[in-house]
Amino acid sequence: MLDATVLERIGIAVGSTVSALLIGLVIVAISGYNPVEFASQLLVGSFGSERAVARTLRYSVLFVLAGVAVAIAFRAGVFNIGVQGQFIVGGFATVVSIITLAPYLPNGTGGGVALMLIGTVAAIAAGGLYAALPGVLKAYGGANEIITTIMLNFIAIGFVGWLVAGRFGDPQATATRTEHMPENVGFPSVIFDDPNLSIVGIVLTLVVVALIAAVMTRTSFGYDMVTSGTQEAAATYSGVDAKRMIVSTMTLSGMVAGLAGAIFAIMIQGYFTDPSGIGNYGFDAIAVSLLAANNPIGVIPAGLLFGGLESAGSHIQISTDVPVQLIDGIVGLVVLFVAVPELFRMIAKRTGLGGDGE
Amino acid sequence: MSVVDYTEQRRVRLGAVALAATLVALAVVGTQTDIALERLFTLGFLTRSLEMATPIALAAIGGLYAEKSGVFNIGLEGFMIFGAFTAAASMYAIGGTASTQVHVWSAIGISVLITGAMTAIFAVLVIRFKADQIVAGLAVWFIGLGFAPFTASIIWGSQSSPGLSSVGSLPFGQSPLVVLTVVIVVAAWYVLYRTRYGYWVQAAGENPEALDTAGVNVNRVRYATVIFSGVMAGLGGAVLLAHEGNFVGTGDTMVEGRGWIAIVAYLFGNYNPIGAAAAALLFGGLDMLNVQFQTVGIEVSARLVNLLPYIAVIVVLSAWGKTRMPSSVGESYESED
Repeated sequence: MLDATVLERIGIAVGSTVSALLIGLVIVAISGYNPVEFASQLLVGSFGSERAVARTLRYSVLFVLAGVAVAIAFRAGVFNIGVQGQFIVGGFATVVSIITLAPYLPNGTGGGVALMLIGTVAAIAAGGLYAALPGVLKAYGGANEIITTIMLNFIAIGFVGWLVAGRFGDPQATATRTEHMPENVGFPSVIFDDPNLSIVGIVLTLVVVALIAAVMTRTSFGYDMVTSGTQEAAATYSGVDAKRMIVSTMTLSGMVAGLAGAIFAIMIQGYFTDPSGIGNYGFDAIAVSLLAANNPIGVIPAGLLFGGLESAGSHIQISTDVPVQLIDGIVGLVVLFVAVPELFRMIAKRTGLGGDGE
Repeated sequence: MSVVDYTEQRRVRLGAVALAATLVALAVVGTQTDIALERLFTLGFLTRSLEMATPIALAAIGGLYAEKSGVFNIGLEGFMIFGAFTAAASMYAIGGTASTQVHVWSAIGISVLITGAMTAIFAVLVIRFKADQIVAGLAVWFIGLGFAPFTASIIWGSQSSPGLSSVGSLPFGQSPLVVLTVVIVVAAWYVLYRTRYGYWVQAAGENPEALDTAGVNVNRVRYATVIFSGVMAGLGGAVLLAHEGNFVGTGDTMVEGRGWIAIVAYLFGNYNPIGAAAAALLFGGLDMLNVQFQTVGIEVSARLVNLLPYIAVIVVLSAWGKTRMPSSVGESYESED
């Protein structure tokens, strides 16, 4: 996809999404539900009310951050399929560090801010380290990072799940989860009424996107990174240490994934649940990043789209009896179409749309 | 590298891997209990390990054929989910919850046909339309994770199926599907290394130009192997279902990463079907240790023991990650004429 022009990429992204949604509607119709009603519920559930918009933005924050994490690695030619695991490890590190340190800090706002800072740093460190591991294994052991990161996802889910159910579990709770973080930990909800969405989370996300975009386009590190991804030989020739580049891009990618976990823990949950049931943010982020052609700025609209889909999913689950897993299937179709730019080029050529096609 | 060096190195690798796995297992047992190991490694343990290994081995055989011919089918996990689900759905359709053995075997057959047809679409996208193999493979996984539970919800009103029938056993308590797998493994080895077609498969991945010059259609060989890989993964999923007796669509579905482990199994077996099957048996054994621990009464968290195969995969890959991939994997091939 890297040889496509910007316009072509946008065309491919829109084409993929529209085709996937259309197939989704056909499936809804075949399954005996009303596709028109489903489509309208999709819109109502994502942008139809203030509550829906807030819910969409809440999910979008996670998808954008996780999408940026994926994009960093993909841009450098490394496949980080492990964002889900790094997200879980990061979020868990936040909750554990905050709950452990809370008794030693004052109760007021100051203590809360300090705790959140510590928790966020813990998440970034944990996510970075968890991603550095497959980076090191690839660089120095030759282990395929696609496989190791996927295995590390399963390990994160199982191991954190074991900790949440045992050592860090809340004995009072009926569900598998940790204790609540203290009252003074939480972002203020300024503009939105939604208790699980804060302007702080949105601003933080935009800052990270801008920061990563700047690193990629304005620094020598970013230049080396993108060169290693697109022209490995040229990068090596100009003195880039390919092995160190793999480890540092994986680490940076994991740090952003960890931060997404921290925001999930602080802004949305307030505690940590069994990670097998927290949603596939890290996996869907792969689709987000691909849709954005691995461009950190492009991740914003792609993340909004996925936030909208997720938000519509929770609405559809309540208001219709269409099984919500359909949304996951549609996401899969989007990814499939994104993988086949050639298909869209051919369609564009046959139909005469989209110019010269080649 | 001479042939002798090569076999030496491989023996060392296999030994190291088996040793590492055994050590991990023993360390867990040793630190947790003082129970005699002979109570742990019983005949029943072997039987269950074989059953556990069959789905992994089948998917691994398919995956290695595709990769040998130059296409990395990273969608094995997704095709296994399709296989398990379509087997459950077709068994339910033809026999309901009280199916006979005929129904079970027909369901396996139908499932293989459906998964094969799906893989044909995947093959066209990857070979004809030059889809990015990694991304398209991931898509297959996502589609499986989404649509299998979705369709299950429509059929059964829940992401998992009710109890269906499982496959019967042979006189010695062994599953006929295990025997079938052994036959497939040996046949796959024979075809790959002892027939002309096997050489074509290898040439399509190593040196497609030469194969083309020799007058063999490279893409036709690749279509065959990719569809074979999906069929084998689908069969693996169907076998998993036939052993367990009901479809589970919650979480990562009942396939639970076995497709990914299958990829590691053939890397681990150095693209040799018999090596891949041996690796699958190792992973199957690790998987079954859990049940074994419970039977013997060892108090270890099931969640932790379940992680052993995944940890083993990472250890194996990093101790010995540099398997020599066929040189043209991932590249689409276009004939000059």
